[in-house]
Amino acid sequence: MAMERRDFLKSAAAASAASAIGMAVPTEVQAKADAAGNDWRWDKAACRFCGTGCGIMMATKGEGADRKIVAVKGDPAAPVNRGLNCIKGYFNAKIMYGADRLTQPLLRVDKDGNFDKKGKFAPVSWKRAFDEMELNIKKTLKEKGPEGVAVFASGQYTVMEGYAAQKMMKAGFRSNAIDPNARHCMASAVVGFYQTFGIDEPSGCYDDIELTDTVVSWGSNMAEMHPILWSRVTDRKLSDPDKVKVISIQTYTHRTSDLADTEIIFSPNTDTALWNYVAREIVYNHPDAIDWDFVKKHIVFAAGPVNLGYGLRRSDDKSVKEGKYTAKEMETVSKEMQKEVSAKEGPALEPFGYKAGDTMKNNGGTLGHWEISFEDYKKSLAPYTLDYTASIVKGDPNEDIEQFKKKLQELAALYIEKDRKVVSFWTMGMNQHTRGTWDNTLAYNVHFLLNKQARPGSGAFSLTGQPSACGTAREVGTFTHRLPADLMVKVPAHRKIAEKQWMIPDGTLNGVGKQHIMQIHRDIEDGLVKFAWVNVCNAYQDSASASHWIKAAREMDNFIVTSDGYPGISAKVSDLILPSAMMYEKWGAYGNAERRTQHWRQQVLPVGDAMSDTWQWVELSKRFTVDDVWGEYKPSGKRKTPLEDVRAKAKAMGYKGDTTMFEILFANKKATAYKLDQNDPIQKGYDNSEGYGDERKVVGSDGKVFEGYGFFIHKYLFEEYASFGRGHGHDLAPFDVYHKVRGLKWPVVDGKETQWRFNSKYDPYAAKETKGTDDEFAFYGKIAKALQHGNLTGKDKDSKKTPLKNKAKIFARPYMDPPEMPDKEYPVWLATGRVLEHWHSGTMTMRVPELYRAVPEALCYMHPEDAKEQQVKRGGMVWVESRRGRVKARVETRGRNRPPQGLVFVPWFDEKVFINKVCLDATCPMSKQTDFKKCAVKIYKA
Amino acid sequence: MKLVSKMTLGAITAALIFAGCGGGESATATPVAETKEAKVTPSVTEESLGLRKTDLYSEDTTTADKTAYHTEYPGTSKRFDRAYQDAPPMIPHDVGDFLPITKNNNACTGCHMPEVAPAMGATPIPPSHFLDMRPHHKFDGKKFTKSIDNMKNETDVKKLTHLSQSRFNCSQCHAPQTTGALAVGSTFEANYTEEDGATRSTWNDRVLDELDTVGPDSTVTADDLANKNSPAGHLEGGH
Repeated sequence: MAMERRDFLKSAAAASAASAIGMAVPTEVQAKADAAGNDWRWDKAACRFCGTGCGIMMATKGEGADRKIVAVKGDPAAPVNRGLNCIKGYFNAKIMYGADRLTQPLLRVDKDGNFDKKGKFAPVSWKRAFDEMELNIKKTLKEKGPEGVAVFASGQYTVMEGYAAQKMMKAGFRSNAIDPNARHCMASAVVGFYQTFGIDEPSGCYDDIELTDTVVSWGSNMAEMHPILWSRVTDRKLSDPDKVKVISIQTYTHRTSDLADTEIIFSPNTDTALWNYVAREIVYNHPDAIDWDFVKKHIVFAAGPVNLGYGLRRSDDKSVKEGKYTAKEMETVSKEMQKEVSAKEGPALEPFGYKAGDTMKNNGGTLGHWEISFEDYKKSLAPYTLDYTASIVKGDPNEDIEQFKKKLQELAALYIEKDRKVVSFWTMGMNQHTRGTWDNTLAYNVHFLLNKQARPGSGAFSLTGQPSACGTAREVGTFTHRLPADLMVKVPAHRKIAEKQWMIPDGTLNGVGKQHIMQIHRDIEDGLVKFAWVNVCNAYQDSASASHWIKAAREMDNFIVTSDGYPGISAKVSDLILPSAMMYEKWGAYGNAERRTQHWRQQVLPVGDAMSDTWQWVELSKRFTVDDVWGEYKPSGKRKTPLEDVRAKAKAMGYKGDTTMFEILFANKKATAYKLDQNDPIQKGYDNSEGYGDERKVVGSDGKVFEGYGFFIHKYLFEEYASFGRGHGHDLAPFDVYHKVRGLKWPVVDGKETQWRFNSKYDPYAAKETKGTDDEFAFYGKIAKALQHGNLTGKDKDSKKTPLKNKAKIFARPYMDPPEMPDKEYPVWLATGRVLEHWHSGTMTMRVPELYRAVPEALCYMHPEDAKEQQVKRGGMVWVESRRGRVKARVETRGRNRPPQGLVFVPWFDEKVFINKVCLDATCPMSKQTDFKKCAVKIYKA
Repeated sequence: MKLVSKMTLGAITAALIFAGCGGGESATATPVAETKEAKVTPSVTEESLGLRKTDLYSEDTTTADKTAYHTEYPGTSKRFDRAYQDAPPMIPHDVGDFLPITKNNNACTGCHMPEVAPAMGATPIPPSHFLDMRPHHKFDGKKFTKSIDNMKNETDVKKLTHLSQSRFNCSQCHAPQTTGALAVGSTFEANYTEEDGATRSTWNDRVLDELDTVGPDSTVTADDLANKNSPAGHLEGGH
């Protein structure tokens, strides 16, 4: 407590600065004996990593700035993981203690200390950092309007951070150019939910695992990516090995297959054909398995256009016209405008009016769809005979086709078996897919036909990737098109709700939200976005076609800021780097894949001068007044109408021209009612660096020591965010309740969580809708719940809309090729992904000794015969080269991942194997989620 | 270069002059920052930051850190200390012949089950791995009933006579370790509450300790649920 500031810096931050200037750093600090442990403080917290959302127990020790994390153990009271964590979960203990933590803002300057984009970095004060941000944002607003100010947001933001960022961006700057890395991870799942249910997030919950008889993993390596869920699956499987079946449907063999009864290796992108095959088996060969009572009561059939393109750059994009894409790149990019229907996809497209050899002109993504008849849906399934399906789906060239067909039949039989409960799980395989939205909806089709959805032990369940992709990205709505709780920026009535709750003038919010995360990169390359801020993600390592975005950041006239705990690739290419408080250095909340919201308290003080992202946003808001940001803006980017001047309305509300956004958005009369109180059992004894400041006496954005906001800002932000969903199907419990329990699955109504949504036995909202009827289900989501009519080839433009209250949809959607497939020059599929031991781009986990040593490098996993063909041995170095770039990696032919011939897998965590330079930025044209799982490469000896 | 500490920064008198307040199409003046701050020296190169110290714009000079796991045969290698009290131990021996673990074959248990471990010179699987911590909720095909109350943070821990099947995937927590230098050091200090904490887990003795994290006030009250003192917590007029 009494430690001098200077001493603190010596002991804790010295290593960081030392490494930043290339000096030797300590390797690992020696063990300390601490026999009693009496001075350890244990508290509950959430794991920092995947979407599973495990609870942990965390011990800290020491006083004030010396308090450090000393241990993590499983939490037997946490319903998700009941006392067990995975290797990353346990090493949450070490993630904040890498020797090169960022401790001060760093700005690129010239020798005189002026900002210089080509300069080296210099440590600067927070005040200087905010000065530069203010300057560049004001300049950009003037030149480009709100569309020029962008944020790379995150599914790893705490709920409070995401909400603060969203509020300042959308209400303050009137910019919707905020979109999270969750776009790369969950967007196809989200559009799938919206289209099918009219509301986001899964109907089931993890309890399904203990209740089911069948687990089918579709393109998901749960054993490594959701290890604790996999331990639950393993427990279930081994407890009743004959009855419980596990099917692993993958593009290459990995640990998930190691536990499976049956493994189906499919050719990349053909999972859509496989889903349609299962549906065809039901509809054509086992129609008695269809629960017609359920289907007639609760389901409509629907279709939409198929010529959507692949989310690539279009021919009229500025950078394409300026020739920033090479001829090689354009071979693939040109398919965005038109393509020839292939022999592979031809049969699947015939019911939709295309055949092999036709030219398909692509119109770009649309979410539009219309109602069709069951007969039309049935027609769409006709092509997926066992022969056709097996011929395009079989992914291992060495597998016997008859053997393969038997597996497909077994798969269908398991789904169809009466009274057999089935859970289908998926994550990135189905989401990172140029028909990812379709793929998600195809999963629900099968479960709906059989009435095996939203029931205990049965359902199609979209696993989420990030710890708060659900909680922050989706529920808070830190997407370009969203507001909290499924409200949309394009709907005037929704904007009004937010404007009212945020106490901002009517008409402030911008109604055009089209700058999804790839669009932000492209807008920087096109020169529209001039200010971009990377928050809690690593946008310059995690985006495909990475060289384009790095070049745009470094060589064009713009200002890029990265806030992070450690210097990753994004920090390196930025103009300004801000040191962020990490997970357990702040109060926070995450929401996991089963709708469970979990809170934790600030365990320790941040290192150096690091401050939370919430603080950074709130401090930035002090720099902008009503007059600065609420004037008129001319059309810009995709917004074709002006944004009105709302300053007069603001004045009518009692604000002045010089009232700051801080006063309006963050320190308003509602906010200050949330008191700091050391008698409150939730707050007692815990630090609150934003509330009180702390003993580090960080010199803040005004050049003075930051003494705290004087109110409980995290509680305010959480409660205000929660207000949007309460009473509307997204009910969150009060802040204090979450600090007393191990998370609750929303909607939380009358103190009770909800396990199976839409099921009237378990979901109070469904019960309300079905009251007085004998209906078991109500799919009460409100989005796209009135449709015109048509057939597989188009919409009847004159048809009237039919309302679909409480109904869900089954979609007719075909198999289609991805835009880039192996050919003579680039003969191999490249899939990317994660490994168990590392999280995303590795900024945290590569700095944990045990995790680094477990997997120090990204390997190129390939088939031994393919390696032989390239005359390279296991451990030898190869180039992996696509039309966009190449990287070197060592070959592994018999590790945990075992691809079939013709496919390689290279994970993306390693800065030194920068695989996203090779990947293609094609997206699902509906969800805008990048397909990181497929592009064509050649492999040769390095 | 000298460490730029807070002491130095505190001494800096930043002279920042902003002309105009700008912003928005309606703003008239372009903001000009004359941001001069004493002793701001460009000292940190892009290459010195992060894990990759090579040219970011070309891959020719960049190679990954080579994996070189310990190759000693089981029983012949020196064990790693646990990272902290009750942390999962890392694997000090070659695992090439033992992975993957499949549903029919878990080679790890051959040496590490407590009854054989001493004879094999292996670290025994600790008693905590022979506990079932998951409550078994009831579902009779019609109605689902929770067997314990999550609102009260209830637990349900049962002793097993076999290895918990939820812990069957050993490689989920235990990993082999490459030799050689770390990419970046760590300032984490290992602490143990037991004399032999570096080599042995005793978590089994206290799995249910410390779970009431809000002290005597850990239980959710009616007042908590009512959430009366939350002026921002509801929408006036709803939507």
